[in-house]
Amino acid sequence: MNRARIATIMVKELRQVSRDPATLGMLLVVPLFLLLMFGFAISLDVKHIQMAVLDRDRTPSSREFLQSFLHSEYFDLKQVLDRESQIDGLLDEGRVLVALVIPKDFGRAVGNGERAEVQAIVDGSNGTTAATAIGYVQAVAADYSQRAFVRSLERAGVTGMKTTIDFQPRVLFNPELRSANFLIPGLIVLILMMTAVLSTTLSIVREKERGTMEQIIVSPVKSMELILGKTVPYLFMSLVAAATILATSRLLFGVTVKGSWLDLSVVTLIFLFGCLAFGVFLSTISDSQQVAFLLSSLLTLLPTFILSGFVFPFRNMPVVIQAVSYLLPGRYYLAALRAVMVKGVGFQAFGDQVLALLVFAAVMGGLSVLRLRRGK
Amino acid sequence: MRTIRFIIRKEFQQLRRDRRLLPLIFLSPVLQIALLGYAANMDVKDIPLAICDQDHSVESRQLAASFLESGSYVASVYVPDAQSAERSIEEGRSSLALVIPPGFGRSLDGTKSAPLQLLADGSDSQSAAIGLTYATLIVSRAQTARAAARLSGLDPRVLRQVKSVRVDPAVRVLYNPTLASRNFMVPGVLAMILMIITTILTSLAIVKEKELGTLEQLIVTPITPRQLIIGKLAPFALISLVIITVVLIASLLLFGIAVRGSLLVLYALSLLFMLSSLGMGLFVSTVARTQQQAMMISMFFFMMPMIILSGFVFPIESMPPVIQAVTYIFPLRYYFVIIRGLFLKGVSFAELWRETAALAAIGVVVIGASVLRFRKRLE
Amino acid sequence: MISFRDGGAGSAGAAAENAIHTEKLTKRFGSFVAVDSVSFDVPAGSIFGLLGANGAGKSTTIRMLCGLLAPTSGTASVAGIDIARNPEGVKRRIGYMSQRFSLYNDLSVEENIRFFGGVYGLSDRELAERQRETVRLAGLEGRERALTRELSGGWKQRLALGCAMLHHPGIVFLDEPTGGTDPISRRLFWDVINELAQAGTTVLVTTHYLDEAEYCNELVLMHAGRIVAQGSPGALKREVITGSVFEVECSDPVAGMSTLRGVPEVRETAIFATRLHVSLDKDQDVEAAVGALRSAGLTVSAYARIVPSLEDVFIRLIDRNGEAKA
Repeated sequence: MNRARIATIMVKELRQVSRDPATLGMLLVVPLFLLLMFGFAISLDVKHIQMAVLDRDRTPSSREFLQSFLHSEYFDLKQVLDRESQIDGLLDEGRVLVALVIPKDFGRAVGNGERAEVQAIVDGSNGTTAATAIGYVQAVAADYSQRAFVRSLERAGVTGMKTTIDFQPRVLFNPELRSANFLIPGLIVLILMMTAVLSTTLSIVREKERGTMEQIIVSPVKSMELILGKTVPYLFMSLVAAATILATSRLLFGVTVKGSWLDLSVVTLIFLFGCLAFGVFLSTISDSQQVAFLLSSLLTLLPTFILSGFVFPFRNMPVVIQAVSYLLPGRYYLAALRAVMVKGVGFQAFGDQVLALLVFAAVMGGLSVLRLRRGK
Repeated sequence: MRTIRFIIRKEFQQLRRDRRLLPLIFLSPVLQIALLGYAANMDVKDIPLAICDQDHSVESRQLAASFLESGSYVASVYVPDAQSAERSIEEGRSSLALVIPPGFGRSLDGTKSAPLQLLADGSDSQSAAIGLTYATLIVSRAQTARAAARLSGLDPRVLRQVKSVRVDPAVRVLYNPTLASRNFMVPGVLAMILMIITTILTSLAIVKEKELGTLEQLIVTPITPRQLIIGKLAPFALISLVIITVVLIASLLLFGIAVRGSLLVLYALSLLFMLSSLGMGLFVSTVARTQQQAMMISMFFFMMPMIILSGFVFPIESMPPVIQAVTYIFPLRYYFVIIRGLFLKGVSFAELWRETAALAAIGVVVIGASVLRFRKRLE
Repeated sequence: MISFRDGGAGSAGAAAENAIHTEKLTKRFGSFVAVDSVSFDVPAGSIFGLLGANGAGKSTTIRMLCGLLAPTSGTASVAGIDIARNPEGVKRRIGYMSQRFSLYNDLSVEENIRFFGGVYGLSDRELAERQRETVRLAGLEGRERALTRELSGGWKQRLALGCAMLHHPGIVFLDEPTGGTDPISRRLFWDVINELAQAGTTVLVTTHYLDEAEYCNELVLMHAGRIVAQGSPGALKREVITGSVFEVECSDPVAGMSTLRGVPEVRETAIFATRLHVSLDKDQDVEAAVGALRSAGLTVSAYARIVPSLEDVFIRLIDRNGEAKA
């Protein structure tokens, strides 16, 4: 391989990019912008559940019961209802998630130590949110019951009923259970992947469309040299973007790197190179920039978002789909990121991820070279 | 009007000639739905739980059993001590670990304390949070049972004065009784696929002619901006309707998910959504100078933000107000509500008028802006 | 032979008016002046040439006249319509062929014709008629279904010209229409242009081929955005070249040129392939020139007086450094 030829291609590519400041800006600055916008927005904590209440009882007990809902950070009172007929409309329109109906004899039942039933009507469309909401409702009701029980015990003079189970939950790695620590790495993977793939996916097909590809084919440039020349400039740019993103995650979102920065850099480098090579490969199999764009978006955006372990846990997926997820570089990089950043473990724990990424990069690079050679 | 027909015909002729494009447009949605519909599943069940029972008493076995019978957990591994439990979490084999210390059973009579440990993998905060919530519920139920048992040993006179209050919520779940997250996710995936394809198709439409030079020949003719924009939109609108049909059939066949509402309303509102999505792409096309720019603008400023922020998985109510404000201009946000409403709730126009109005407004603004921005000049 | 029964604004009785009129037309891109105060008139039915090197401002001028670029200052009217105030009105009446091939490469020949014909508002009957006509004009009979990208350069140009003419405009703008084609294609192309002009169409052509410029009725020579000379080819040669031009065959033209620089009688020398064109005030001065060359040790095998070409005119006006001479 001729280093001078590679350098020439690199210089030409850099010059083309520098003449397009919009693209340059997008590759360097936009990843950071996206991290900021998404990082502050995404969370999986189910809070501010919109609730409507219909209090048929209106006694101090029912009011106290309602207060225990509203004091929790989980529920927001959206509307107080007069009639039961209003409930269906509200839920159909999606204005509230839960409608709570307190029956007329609630206060009397509580006073007599009987079982009091309240109705909770829940919008089940989003099963997970609904299940969580139901869980919260049950928890608040149980808590209210417990407090009332203990009060009544104390009034009866029974003391010393200690809680007999000393329950000590301990969270490893992310003690405050900040969903940021869980979500931000996934976000980083998605942003870096899209940036890297898109930067190279039009590189070759653009020349095909404009008709300048013939000149390249006729020149003495070898396929491998062409690919390296077209990829390396973007590797540098992606690394810059990755560095700024990682630094910002630490500064603004408190996602520190518990493990080794060196490990992080190495695995990031391999991942980025694989993504760039993937972009180049797509470029070699497309005849128009439109097709390249479609292919790269369809193969990276949604699949990485959904199948990399960013939000949806693998164990819920059918085995076939899990198998497909093994084809995605994002899956491995995310596992490695979480291992290095959140768990702080050493190389042995995520060695297979690195290996998988190396294989991916090699395969994509190889396929691209083969496709280009065929064109010659 | 006649001119528009000619433009539409030319667009179709060009589409036909790009051999890979049409199959890609019609087949990929099916593949994506198949793949992602099955994957987008957030039901928190079968959490892998490592169990470390150092007590081996009746009580400890009962406790472990109550965890496993709850349906939320699955025993991943039985370990002998706390360090092994931690290691199984570090290596990712378990999300939680229950460590029952020796002497647990005897501690329940209140004399000695034997702390019950539950270790959670914080790097998977979602499973950890839910796992902890269920665990707390299970433990507190065990406590209540314990307390009730001890209560029976008290003086009957005192007992009469104790009010054991129990408030039981009777829960009625509307629209999705099994709480399967799939019923919610598949329409969402459908919406995202439609958005992606339509945005990509139009965002390159005009700028491609700019790059190849054919736009020059086009703008020297008597063609008006309105004719060109409509001529460019119409073929993709038609294609969009076909894609919707294909995807609906796929959802039905693969997942058994059908539309509860009216099909007509679905098509009408989907078309409205497509138009605003197509319009956004077209607007990008009038702004960008090269196809590369168009691609990046539409991906980074439209597609990615819409996918993350429109409420597919991350609730909009939890977002900072500034970002919530931004989501008001995303057509996908309204379409999620529409499509989930039609699939799950069986609603109609009456309940969806707000979303319909928003989509119509966005469509008009975006297409109008494209017409205005498109200048029949070269600079 | 093409006969236009319903020519556009440029035909029938408009001979007295100017089809195109420009006055101090200027175009600036930031601080760069691409076209600098250009004024000329084009009589209806003539072939008018804009001559100049690449970057002289020819394409920019044409684009302004077609309504594709807005002028920075100055005015121009095409077919009596002001290009700044009513560019769309201009576009309806003209045909335009751009320097870069701008038809759809992924459409077939007939699909391209049908599209542009339709966009210009031709009825179905007219379309069918003009399609036959254009195919014949371009020489593409039997290849109507061929994809445009499969055609070679010359055919593409002719197809582009045909598409520009579909609506029978009275004025046609051709920007370097023969760029990159072989001499035979170029000759054929100019046959077509001549036919058009004879039928009453006004043709404004830009070219940097000086031999093609000879075919124009009138020329404008542009350099660095300005007009450096204007007139019919003959008039230009007569007025610009005072004195005579001799063609001298010499063994080392490059050395010869530097030798002749020292000879006072020689006004100018230029290398034309392997020969020298020597510009003199008087015929007799050629002896001095030849003598100087021989003294320098060069062999002079032949020399003769020639009829100056436009290239000689051009070189007279623009010196070695690309600057316009006074």
